[in-house]
Amino acid sequence: MKKRISESPRLLIILLLALYGLLTTGVTLWVLHDSLEHSYRLNYEDLEDDLKTIAPYLELRMNQGDKDCFAYLELVSSVQHEEREYSYVVRDKEGEVIAPSFAAGRTLKMKKVKQLDKTGTCWLADVWGDRCFIIIHPFPTRPLELIGVYDYDYIFGDREETAKDFIMVLVFLFLLLLAVSWFWIIPVVERVLERKRLAENELNEARDLQQKAVTTVFPKNSFFDSHAVLRPAREVGGDIYRFGMQDGKFQYVIGDVSDKGTTAALLMFTISSFIHSRTRGEVPVCELMKELNCLICDNSEYEMLCTLFLGHIDAETLKMEYCNAGHTRTLVNGDFLDQDSQQLAGLDRDYPYHTQTVQLHHGDRVLLYTDGVTEARGADRSFFGEKRLQEWMNGLDPAISSEAACQSLLDTLAAFRGNALQNDDIAIIYIKIV
Amino acid sequence: MKTIIEEKNGVVIVSVQGELDTDTSAQFQRDIEPLMERKDTKVEMDLSKLDYMSSKALRILVAFQQAVTRNGGSFSITKVTDTVQEVFDMTGLSASFLR
Repeated sequence: MKKRISESPRLLIILLLALYGLLTTGVTLWVLHDSLEHSYRLNYEDLEDDLKTIAPYLELRMNQGDKDCFAYLELVSSVQHEEREYSYVVRDKEGEVIAPSFAAGRTLKMKKVKQLDKTGTCWLADVWGDRCFIIIHPFPTRPLELIGVYDYDYIFGDREETAKDFIMVLVFLFLLLLAVSWFWIIPVVERVLERKRLAENELNEARDLQQKAVTTVFPKNSFFDSHAVLRPAREVGGDIYRFGMQDGKFQYVIGDVSDKGTTAALLMFTISSFIHSRTRGEVPVCELMKELNCLICDNSEYEMLCTLFLGHIDAETLKMEYCNAGHTRTLVNGDFLDQDSQQLAGLDRDYPYHTQTVQLHHGDRVLLYTDGVTEARGADRSFFGEKRLQEWMNGLDPAISSEAACQSLLDTLAAFRGNALQNDDIAIIYIKIV
Repeated sequence: MKTIIEEKNGVVIVSVQGELDTDTSAQFQRDIEPLMERKDTKVEMDLSKLDYMSSKALRILVAFQQAVTRNGGSFSITKVTDTVQEVFDMTGLSASFLR
């Protein structure tokens, strides 16, 4: 349900507006209620003052517009709690009767609206056709009750008008917001959401592609113990690796396509498939690089360059052949490999790549990585750098497994980054010669 | 990141300052786009105040170089910082950029 609401801006807007409507109505009613409460209280307090002076005569003061008169009431019947009926006579200041008396059989029906305290109550009644607000306080020593009568409109009329105006403004605002959001905000939000959804789909597909393109089964045999990790940054990057045992050799390639997004992932996938098909058989390392370079140049519509480091380690002789095309410097036991800088692939179709060799020994550890490692940034924007990487490898227990070594490097990088975000893809291959 | 483009005695000098990372290289690409269309232009890049360069920026620079030379112009990078020099060395681009 949560997902459905977040995906439907119209429903969301309606819910938000409904919430807004409820909230503002609630606040208005509360304010109104509070001010009414305040008025009851004020009038009741007035009445308590009057009680002292008016009480002996049991007269009831009535404020009827310009008429200032007194009513004499007698309880004739009572309906518990909610309604009461009084007969009454009304006299002017001079004591002249100005309204029909008991004999006329007229009664005053009142409806209880408010309990003011244990004994005092507030009532509404029609007196001469006008709505009146009546406060009753039982007089302790007399059978009758003392009543204060106030013109309802006089006390509450303005407030009611103000409240009505206020509610009208709220309703108008509500409709305005509804119209604006329905015809303007919602379509914009919908377009943005749709774009975001498409982009996310594309991103997920590209990530999927990237993960499918790299090796997931790592050779662990009597010659090599290897492990690799790929940690994509927030965008899909173009880091790639592929390795495995082939014809008694540990074949490897690691690279970094100079862009991010689906196109980079696609090129990476192309490279990966190519390597997969070409590493079978005896292709010299530099020839493989040349072929890959041509492949990337031929796919120049991608407008991408790619750093690559590829080669193989012979399981018997432990001779490592490698060819470097602008890639980061490989570490062997904490020392950088003598790596000629040859141009990165995808630039010059005829670039004369050449192979280099190094003799490895039992117990040697080789670290291949992409620039996401050395260019990882700390909270102060400084780079992790080759020096720290070298220190990490020198401090690493040579006996630990390649998997633990990869994890150790990831942990070291995470500690270095602190709260900073991972800014680039990280790819690591760790190979232990058994 | 800041790109300053000035023309002196028929030479277009493009100075880039700050960092060319994944985010800022898009801006850099927009900044130099008009130059990529011009015919017979002599472009000199001054990267003496460029502290960092990502691989994406490198690609843009290569594309820039190719566009300028394709249009009959010339392209060279005259000044670089040590960091950028390292990037060019590592990627084997020093030979084609720094003549």
